[in-house]
Amino acid sequence: MNDSQNQQALDAQLDSLIQPFKAVASPLQEFLSDLYIKYKPLTEGKVADYIPELAKVDPDLFAISVVTVDGKVIEVGDIDQLFTIQSASKPFVHGLTLEDCGRDFVLSRVGVEPTGEAFNAIVLDESSGRPYNPMVNAGAIATAGLVKGDDPTAKLNRVMEMFRNYCGRDLYVDMSVYTSERSTGHRNRAIAHLMLNFGMVDQNLDDMLDLYFKQCSVMVNCHDLGVMAATLANNGRNPMTNARALDSQYIKDVLSVMYTCGMYDYSGEWSYRVGLPAKSGVGGGIVAVVPKLLGIGVFSPRLDSRGNSVRGVKVCEELSSHFGFHSFDLHDDHSKFLSSLTRTRST
Amino acid sequence: MAKIISIHSFRGGTGKSNMTANLSVMAASQGKRVAIIDTDIQSPGIHVLFGLDEDSMALTLNDYLWDRCTIAEAAYDVTPASVAAKGGKVHLIPCSIKAGEIARILNEGYSVMLLNDGLRKLCQELALDYLFIDTHPGLNKETLLSIAISDSLIIILRPDRQDFQGTAVTLQVANRLDTPKTNLVVNKVLTKYDREAVREQVAEKFQTPVIGVFPVSEEMIELGSKELFTLTFPDHPYTTELRGVARHVVT
Ligand SMILES: Nc1ncnc2c1ncn2[C@@H]1O[C@H](COP(=O)(O)OP(=O)(O)OP(=O)(O)O)[C@@H](O)[C@H]1O
Ligand SMILES: [Mg+2]
Repeated sequence: MNDSQNQQALDAQLDSLIQPFKAVASPLQEFLSDLYIKYKPLTEGKVADYIPELAKVDPDLFAISVVTVDGKVIEVGDIDQLFTIQSASKPFVHGLTLEDCGRDFVLSRVGVEPTGEAFNAIVLDESSGRPYNPMVNAGAIATAGLVKGDDPTAKLNRVMEMFRNYCGRDLYVDMSVYTSERSTGHRNRAIAHLMLNFGMVDQNLDDMLDLYFKQCSVMVNCHDLGVMAATLANNGRNPMTNARALDSQYIKDVLSVMYTCGMYDYSGEWSYRVGLPAKSGVGGGIVAVVPKLLGIGVFSPRLDSRGNSVRGVKVCEELSSHFGFHSFDLHDDHSKFLSSLTRTRST
Repeated sequence: MAKIISIHSFRGGTGKSNMTANLSVMAASQGKRVAIIDTDIQSPGIHVLFGLDEDSMALTLNDYLWDRCTIAEAAYDVTPASVAAKGGKVHLIPCSIKAGEIARILNEGYSVMLLNDGLRKLCQELALDYLFIDTHPGLNKETLLSIAISDSLIIILRPDRQDFQGTAVTLQVANRLDTPKTNLVVNKVLTKYDREAVREQVAEKFQTPVIGVFPVSEEMIELGSKELFTLTFPDHPYTTELRGVARHVVT
């Protein structure tokens, strides 16, 4: 190592020591802390209770994570608290199948049409027999059936490897959640049988459902969601590890489906109000993407009647309106957000 | 919005705690609501200047960091009578002086985010005009946080080569942390030196404003942190010089 390389290495050391403190002192941190304080007392909504594992979560938990495409992390609340990813896994597995099978084949099996129906509705598109889109249960189950791999273990390993690329650490499946999901998943089983009837799925139903239940039972924390969203925002590359999680040609597929279908039967109003590609899960997580800029993860277990985190929706609404993140907010150049990352110095 | 003022030095024993305590009291005697937080978790001491001891500190910053109380519950009203008469308030959030508590912090660490939240809450709940942060010397988590969040940073140094080198390090860090305002203070200058000349030399050397040059004082040594120097010696050169510092940071 020569002197200037050495100096660079030392500068990098100092920067990595200092960066978290800089983030903590940023106006954005203050904004997130204010949001946290504002919505912490909100007790509206109900924790998902269709399985005991979800019902026993502390409903007051609350965390917000913002991760920029250049790797700055600004967070508040119970950021390390683990919870199950549930439906927030769907866009990521959808992306994996696009890489595995290509756009046309995936599209022939699962549509991209929003549905006003509830997420667990037992409906398929009348004319094509396809599930409406990969964000509803029917579409996500069919999508799980498209993951490549020689056997169920190989398929699961590929899903877990994909998650690792997105969040930069190894995640695991919570076996008790998975077992509960599997033993109570009659509705999802019915959906799978209906698809089999229409000839839309062609493999062992149990394996397909099993992978689906497992992908939903993956444990994440709010920071992971922020990093995963930031990876999508960063054109498929994890901003911290630089690992590629999704082929960049499929980013637009994943984001557009999230945009139109990600928030269950609130998707239309969400696109109008918040204007960001997003996906929620009944574990209380929401991932939202501001393309080319940042990812947002929010975690708060109380859900509204549509299955979206109550505080999560509020936080995303406020972030979007305050910083002008809405995809069609064309007068905004994100200068307000960029200046919120550092303190202004008086000279 | 409360202004956060951190007092730091790279090396120990420069006079941080005495200056923090006296500066806070000066701000409060202008009718301000002030709090002092001791973030010197490893070697706390500023509580002594306000006459607190282990028995009178039921709750401390440590209890807040372990989630045993709110930050405001660890705040003690230590307003001197003469300051109360002028409508000011001084609160102190001390650190635990129990060996076991100090050991626990060193063993287990704590969340910087939690400390940051606590400082913000403190400013709100006590409706503060100023929050003064007394720090541990050198670079550590508490110090980095306090430098990062302060509106104004005061770095104390003695006329000593080791202090000079250390000050350069702290300045470099403050610069990277985008601290809005950084000023230097020179303490314990021998009375035989021309303080104005020292001010110019140090300001020139660090390209940073020097807002106070304090003489070494026998009275201060003799007082031995028993009480607040500026209240006991209102006409002493140290006190006069500190008023100058207060004019810079308290507006
Ligand atoms: N101007 C001065 N003249 C003489 N003695 C002083 C002066 N300022 C401070 N002292 C003395 O120096 C000692 C250290 O002061 P103080 O505890 O305030 O320093 P500190 O920087 O907080 O130390 P530490 O780094 O250990 O926290 C005390 O005994 C104090 O009385
Ligand atoms: Mg001290």
